[in-house]
Amino acid sequence: MLLNNTNLFINSPLEQFEVTNLLSFNAPLFGYISFTITNLALYTAIIFSVIVGLHFLGNNDTKLLPSKWSILFESFFASINSMVREQIGREIYLPFIYSLFFFILVSNLVGNIPYSFTITTSVIVSIGLSFTILIGVTILGLYIHKIHFFSFFIPAGTPLALVPLLVLIELISYLARAFSLGIRLFANVVAGHTLLKILSTFLFKMFSGGLIIFILTLLPFALFLAITGLELAVSFIQAYVFVLLVCSYIKDAIELH
Amino acid sequence: MPQLIPFYFVNQLSFAFLTLIALVYIFSKYILPLFTFQQVIRLYITKLSNKS
Repeated sequence: MLLNNTNLFINSPLEQFEVTNLLSFNAPLFGYISFTITNLALYTAIIFSVIVGLHFLGNNDTKLLPSKWSILFESFFASINSMVREQIGREIYLPFIYSLFFFILVSNLVGNIPYSFTITTSVIVSIGLSFTILIGVTILGLYIHKIHFFSFFIPAGTPLALVPLLVLIELISYLARAFSLGIRLFANVVAGHTLLKILSTFLFKMFSGGLIIFILTLLPFALFLAITGLELAVSFIQAYVFVLLVCSYIKDAIELH
Repeated sequence: MPQLIPFYFVNQLSFAFLTLIALVYIFSKYILPLFTFQQVIRLYITKLSNKS
């Protein structure tokens, strides 16, 4: 009876997003110290080493003939560089945008490996990232424009009577950026991974159902592979959209529309 | 313990931001200058070949 029950048990599709402790250090020192390495921490370390390792691989040591990897990274560099130049106009933000792009891209791609963990599906990481960027952009705007930064909340040519209302609306839309930026990334990745998990559970059940069903299941399996390809595309698109929006927010703070 | 959840969040955020900060440092100090350097070299070679 128990065995039957365990066979019927299907893992929740949301189980893959759980942050679990891998290694903990707890000591009753200075109040109470607790240092924990979670699977998220492990994957940030993996992402860091993958990004830095690939860049050293594609480094090419300033040889004039490019290698395959250096062509890849040079085209990434060229497209991000042109985006930063067109949007912001100052190349000083390039390292930040470039590393943000690779951080999100590689974390999404590493998460596409089966049984791995995606750090952008942790809502606190993606929303924390977008909130920190928005706070940073606001500080940048206040630093550049001082008190004139608040003219950002009043569109040009507004009648005085409408100013309180419009300031409220603009303020809300400004704050909503912080949420929308993070939730866009988080929701897309979580939705995709949940879908893949649910579909693969069904496919596993169908594949283990007998020879004829196995052959019939190859058709939905092809669809599943297409959805996996779509997930790869989503990884790229979300990283690109995130970075593009961060660029436009920085531009807004510098230029005040 | 639900009152400890913010500390889990601090743990996750600190790891994510440490990685991002380290990436920004390594890119701006070591890797991105190489790209610019290579482009400068190519521009220079093009200039030289145009002269001759």
